Amino acid sequence: MKKAIKWILWIILGIGLILIPKIFGIYYTNFFVSLAIMAVFSQSINIELGYTRILNFGHAMFFGMGGYGAAQALALIPGMPILGAVLCGMLGGGLLALVLSPLVVRVSGMACAMLHVAFNALFFMLAMKLRPLTGGEDGISGFPIPPFNIPGIISIDMTNPLNFYYFAVAVLGISMWLMWYFTKTPFGQIMIGIRDNPKRVNYLGFKVPESRALVYIVGGSFAGVSGSMYALFQNLFSSDATSGLNSFQPVLMTMVGGIGTFIGPIIGSAFFSVVEELARRYTERVELVMGLTLIIVILFAPMGFMGLYRDLKARWGKAPSLPKI
Amino acid sequence: MDPTTAMYVSQGIHGLAYGMILFLVASGVSLIIGMMHIFNLAHAGFFMLSAYFTYQFVAWTGNFWLALLLAPIATGFCGMLMERFLLRPLRGSGVIGDLILTVGVALCIDALVKVIWGTANKPLSKPPLLQGMVHFAGLDYPYYRLFVIGLAVVVLLIMALLLYKTRIGKIVRAAVSDNDMVNALGINIPLLFTFVFGVGIWLAGVAGAAIAPILSVFPGLALQMGMDAFIVVAVAGFGSLRGAFMVSILFGLMNSYGVQFISQLAPLSMFIFMAIVMIFFPHGFFGESEEE
Amino acid sequence: MNILETKGLFHDYSGLEVLFDVNLQIEEGERHAIIGPNGAGKTTLFNTITGTCCPSRGKVFFKGKEITGYPPYKLTRLGMGRSFQLTSTFDRLVTFQNVRLAVLSKRGIRFNLFKKVDKMTDVNLETLEIIKRINLDQEILVPASLLSYGKHRSLEISMALATNPDLILLDEPTAGMSRDETHTAVEMIKRLTAGKTVVVIEHDMDVVFSLADRITVLHYGKILATGAPDEIRNNQAVKDAYLGESENGGITTRHSA
Ligand SMILES: Nc1ncnc2c1ncn2[C@@H]1O[C@H](COP(=O)(O)OP(=O)(O)OP(=O)(O)O)[C@@H](O)[C@H]1O
Ligand SMILES: [Mg+2]
Repeated sequence: MKKAIKWILWIILGIGLILIPKIFGIYYTNFFVSLAIMAVFSQSINIELGYTRILNFGHAMFFGMGGYGAAQALALIPGMPILGAVLCGMLGGGLLALVLSPLVVRVSGMACAMLHVAFNALFFMLAMKLRPLTGGEDGISGFPIPPFNIPGIISIDMTNPLNFYYFAVAVLGISMWLMWYFTKTPFGQIMIGIRDNPKRVNYLGFKVPESRALVYIVGGSFAGVSGSMYALFQNLFSSDATSGLNSFQPVLMTMVGGIGTFIGPIIGSAFFSVVEELARRYTERVELVMGLTLIIVILFAPMGFMGLYRDLKARWGKAPSLPKI
Repeated sequence: MDPTTAMYVSQGIHGLAYGMILFLVASGVSLIIGMMHIFNLAHAGFFMLSAYFTYQFVAWTGNFWLALLLAPIATGFCGMLMERFLLRPLRGSGVIGDLILTVGVALCIDALVKVIWGTANKPLSKPPLLQGMVHFAGLDYPYYRLFVIGLAVVVLLIMALLLYKTRIGKIVRAAVSDNDMVNALGINIPLLFTFVFGVGIWLAGVAGAAIAPILSVFPGLALQMGMDAFIVVAVAGFGSLRGAFMVSILFGLMNSYGVQFISQLAPLSMFIFMAIVMIFFPHGFFGESEEE
Repeated sequence: MNILETKGLFHDYSGLEVLFDVNLQIEEGERHAIIGPNGAGKTTLFNTITGTCCPSRGKVFFKGKEITGYPPYKLTRLGMGRSFQLTSTFDRLVTFQNVRLAVLSKRGIRFNLFKKVDKMTDVNLETLEIIKRINLDQEILVPASLLSYGKHRSLEISMALATNPDLILLDEPTAGMSRDETHTAVEMIKRLTAGKTVVVIEHDMDVVFSLADRITVLHYGKILATGAPDEIRNNQAVKDAYLGESENGGITTRHSA
């Protein structure tokens, strides 16, 4: 019975996603694509920050590797398929995480956060200065967006926003699903264990630094995917997207939605995007609105919307309330 | 004296003055981290706010000295309000919550400053008493920078006296090294926190007021100073005032001599330096590793 | 054969000397108690053996192999289990998930990314079984941080046992428990560790004498005596040390004090 309801919900969601462009028109379809990119980006930081407590406050580096990876792959390699570009982005993010992991997985807490802010600042500087590689502030733009090809069967034009929407929903949806699965494996339990009590995990016979490294690489890879999708979506990737500010954005979204819960970053991204859109449309002061929203949300729901939901449920005696992270 | 030496000396004075300003900001950050375990990302925002207050007070009264006195106090008061009404309710909800809140406040300060004063540069002239140069041993020193150094030293001495000679200073030092113990001694910790936070912000306020006539006041001030203060605290280690002092001076000098010789790389060199330091000393030069 | 042996173990915490030349021999299959006043260095001894920290001098042998300075995860894989004086569980996870992590470790399931843990039937069944054996089946879905003190301690102990170690080091398993809880816990320990080697730090003399085959007395970081319970009871040096301290208002044992 429960399973049937679940399936029905999935089908409704699927139909809803297919119908979005028809119902909302192309402007909001694009809005939805950027929201979904942010949601995957936020989820990838949630896996590190919320599930494993790797205080990575330099996630824009991996986003950047993804964006530059995909953009350069398309700009330099003729005949690069679109999925290949996404894969390049994923590899870029994962590779950077692999390189950094020996350093960062051994430090924890505030020092780890600081180290990431430092690396992020360095990365941002490099992105601005290494013009031949990154295009600096102007970024890499105008690279070809190849059609989606299944040889011999179909070739779909990806410069058409509607087609790109379906492509994005598929890629980002699969990424989301993979990350969800990741948290459900035995390793997902180890991650949460590391968050709550790394000493005990060590004493249970698991290698903590190696496990943290794996999470870090997975997080970096999916940040790479979101970065590459962003580059494809905008047909532009500039150093702006790698700034420290862009590292905080997904963290804020995750926090607001509910850190350490899978649904949290998704809700958070949606909430943020909508508030930002409204602020942009009806006020001149986006920053002020965002700042105030953050303060209010954190004051009333320190553990985000999901935390609030849990607390309310606990108040009505349905579930025990949990200690805060 | 030959012109090269003159240049070195004048760059040194510049560096020293900037280092001192940097230290005023960084010491507040460090104090707050050591005491309350909050990394205040809005700190540089308050620094900027104080610079704007100074500009405003001067515009109203025409008296720089009055502004120099009042602007930091007003800023410190804003800081105390933030602690009392925003941070305190959030106490105990973890590092990330504090971080988000301070980001929120930083964004708000940034936006408010733009709403009230606009985005244009607000120039502020040095007080007549401090314009011009001192001549000494065949060299010229800009009065105002010497004054900034002197001011910082005075503030430092006051802080040192406060920390080492008064009861409240003892409590604060004890709390930095061991929060729980002070708690157990029956001291009103929340009040102490509000006070320390206010003092930390006041220090940033002094820096902001002092720097206003050197740099003109503009909305990017917070970001610039925030980054530098961040580097200082990260390199020095949390809660280490001594470390923050040495690193601030080092950075001030590095900055001014760096601009001279490797102008292209000067901003980058700071980050590279920080990254290298943090690789080998994840807790900073003078910091102790915190157990989670 | 000695399953665990330390040779000339020294340790200091940045200058504060805590262990002096500790030579400990634990025979395979025995139940060995370590007693001593607060601050004697008992926990520190466990820490140096199990890899929380490296001894400043000396060697540790486990199953005949030198393991000095091995990290905890390696020792666990070699068959050593440890519980902590201060309960150390996964607070936001429920009892079931806590124990399941230990079971996963025992079965060597670590970097498995292709199966959902909820679908691993035998892992989950084994977890259930362990939980039944420690009488926590009522609390199976309660987060560890919300367990009552006694149950929380049981969970702590069971996590040390669930990896199925050959040598089990228990640091004050009954600390802070009521009389009844202590009794239940001792019975549980006896039941679950049958046939295994156990080293237990304990303050409660009743527990010590009911549990231990041999006793080691640690005093200011030195081994004062090792022997069967009766020997220790009648050992003059031990009497002097304990009596000397209690005259100064010092420590005897936590429960009998
Ligand atoms: N991490 C540490 N850093 C510094 N000193 C420590 C540390 N851990 C323990 N000590 C000191 O080492 C000494 C021995 O401590 P230990 O915890 O080993 O004693 P114990 O015998 O287990 O005592 P108890 O019966 O109270 O558990 C004590 O004086 C203690 O203060
Ligand atoms: Mg102990």
